[in-house]
Amino acid sequence: MSSSKLITLLMAIATGIALGLYYGWVIDPVEYTDVTPNILREDYRVDLVLMTAEAYQGDFDTEAAARRLALLGSEPPASIVTSALNYANRNGFTQEEIADLQTLLTAMQTYQPDGNINP
Amino acid sequence: MMSRLLRSSLLHFILALLIGAGLGLAYSWQISPVTYVDAAPALLREDFKDQYRIIIADAYAANQNLPRAQARLNILGDANPIDALSAQAQRMLAAGEPFELARPLAKLASDLQQGFVSEPFTPTAFPTFNTPQAASTPTANETQPQAREEATFTPPPTVFFEQTPLSPITQETVTPRPTFTPTAGPDAPFTLVGQEPMCDPGASNLMQFILTDSRREQIAGVEIIVTWNQGEDRFFTGFKPELGNGYADFIMQPNTLYNIRIVTGGAFVQDISAPTCNDPNGAEYTGGILLTFQQP
Repeated sequence: MSSSKLITLLMAIATGIALGLYYGWVIDPVEYTDVTPNILREDYRVDLVLMTAEAYQGDFDTEAAARRLALLGSEPPASIVTSALNYANRNGFTQEEIADLQTLLTAMQTYQPDGNINP
Repeated sequence: MMSRLLRSSLLHFILALLIGAGLGLAYSWQISPVTYVDAAPALLREDFKDQYRIIIADAYAANQNLPRAQARLNILGDANPIDALSAQAQRMLAAGEPFELARPLAKLASDLQQGFVSEPFTPTAFPTFNTPQAASTPTANETQPQAREEATFTPPPTVFFEQTPLSPITQETVTPRPTFTPTAGPDAPFTLVGQEPMCDPGASNLMQFILTDSRREQIAGVEIIVTWNQGEDRFFTGFKPELGNGYADFIMQPNTLYNIRIVTGGAFVQDISAPTCNDPNGAEYTGGILLTFQQP
């Protein structure tokens, strides 16, 4: 095989790869339909934390709140709430919402997974 | 010879292109697919969507903010959020989960259906009131109207009854104070106020329930137990909010007698059975029955 023919073949392969990548990443990428909550966009994650904080105002059930927050990943619940609280402060959440998050944060800082609350 | 060479080169080129495209696709779909880092809740797996709905309903139970709950449900991308809530609540009950967990979902579905926030559920027992006894010690609130009555009290003409003790006269003539009338709460007993056969082929064998409070507003979340000689079924009102918040139904078997117990308040109705109806051609078929219960 002549070198020019080899170059032509390599160029064809490279073009094919480029076309394949373009099709697979841009035109028809893999569609995710069964995602987990830990890859939710930040505003949705914060809203989930806010919902948990609102629900906590109704039942004051730290165990249930921690379980709800666990949907968002394996981080400690207090860290998740702290991140949400920072987001809320940066994005003009209402005082009531921030107060709810603050209450939840306090509860999560004292929460122990075995159900005991530190004094 | 030349054209054969060209054809061979073209074939090789196309083959190389296809091999390259295959490699590219394999890499982009399998080895390194597009990763989602900012997913929307509509893409969540079904079980996570269920948990998301529960959190929405629990938050709604606490803040009673219906527009916010509606907006949150919308981002889940359900074709009909009310149906999704009702179906999930029924699935939970069918799986044996306690009603307390499913109730926020049913209530949110019910409130979305009617478009306003209904009376929140009270987890504690509804207080009962005893009619005040005449001999009870007056409280601070009760002394004021009594003093007013005494101020307007006209002493009887004792001049003609000098021998009669005075003290009983005062007690007998004082107008009794109005007593507190208890209103029906969520635990007030239901009574059967309507029992109508439903001769509609579409409602064949269907035992339908409508439960209302004293103001004739339908009540969701009331447990009903139906028993018959071969078994028992229990269910709750409000899981088909499109048919009414106080609606529930049950499929009867022909020629079977059913006993019905409304758990809240303890109403009990015996020997309910599917009626026999006739179609326009005179043929018999089993109809349905509509039972209406109301709190006093």
